[in-house]
Amino acid sequence: MTTATVRTPLAERLAADLGTDFGPFFGTPCGILAPLYRTLEEQADLLTVAREDNAVGVAAGAALAGRAPVVLMQNSGLAQSVNALASLVVPYAIPMLLVVSLRGVDPDPTPENTVMGRLTEPLLDGLGIESTTLSDPVDLDRARHLVHVERRAAALLVPPTAFGWRA
Amino acid sequence: MARMNKTEAVAAVLAATTTEPIVCTTGYACRIARHLDDRPSHFYMTGSMGLASSIGIGIARETGRTTVVVDGDGSLLMNPVGLVTAGALPALPLAHIVLDDGRYASTGGQAVPSRRADLGAWALACGYARADETDDAAQFADLVRAAVARCTAPVLVVARLTAADPPVPGRVEGDLAEHARRFGRHLARNG
Repeated sequence: MTTATVRTPLAERLAADLGTDFGPFFGTPCGILAPLYRTLEEQADLLTVAREDNAVGVAAGAALAGRAPVVLMQNSGLAQSVNALASLVVPYAIPMLLVVSLRGVDPDPTPENTVMGRLTEPLLDGLGIESTTLSDPVDLDRARHLVHVERRAAALLVPPTAFGWRA
Repeated sequence: MARMNKTEAVAAVLAATTTEPIVCTTGYACRIARHLDDRPSHFYMTGSMGLASSIGIGIARETGRTTVVVDGDGSLLMNPVGLVTAGALPALPLAHIVLDDGRYASTGGQAVPSRRADLGAWALACGYARADETDDAAQFADLVRAAVARCTAPVLVVARLTAADPPVPGRVEGDLAEHARRFGRHLARNG
């Protein structure tokens, strides 16, 4: 059985905005990101990779080839990707946008996600990857500047309810 | 039959390539490749053990050009998802070379727990078009040359290393961001 994924206007606007000057897209699915994931699968070049740090690695290859890739992941996958970010993306200054969902943050009460929810922003800070939180209307100016102008990684954090996720 | 060491295997990869991008895994593979010939087509992955093939996949998929990955047995085992990812892309021009010495060479030569694992069978089961394995230097050189010359799908070539290496060259030094930019410029010129 699979869960049907709805489209949401915010996810569609974010996908359209990202599609103007980011890509290709890589990701490992996440329930919070599902509406965005579905829209990107339909409208863009989105490759699902089985594990988030591999998605970061494949994105690094695309970035080295001159692109501005995006990696979609749950924050549990950010934890999985710490070494890829710390020893590859940051020291080699490889540009990419990480779209990271915030499991374990209000109103997600699941105890298996709470610790990573608490760690997500400090972890990115410690990695030296600047993050912004998704807003409505969508504002990607800072992420764009970091990825396209400064040619480094940036993160866009997606709170649980942004696309209608429910606990 | 001539047995080979890691240096000879890397030299065979360099002899089979000209401007093709080569992603070298962490540890001695990077150091040996850089020592033999520090080409701008080389990407020395000094950390992120396990991700050399993933980086190669991203390059091959983006450029459509034959991309060579010089992996190790320990690094392949650290993250076999690269095999799954490449195998799912049947037209990906990826020549995935594995230097299999059965050892974690750069950490003290501890045994890699893969004695009963068949890496070539893994690759085929993941969707690679071909997987070859040899411990003979001349045959390895032929396999790599063929893999690079006609690369239209992910292929695996495993070199079983049974001969002793000369002293290992020094670490990859310098600004890694500048190294990435040099490699990026090479891809832009040869894309």
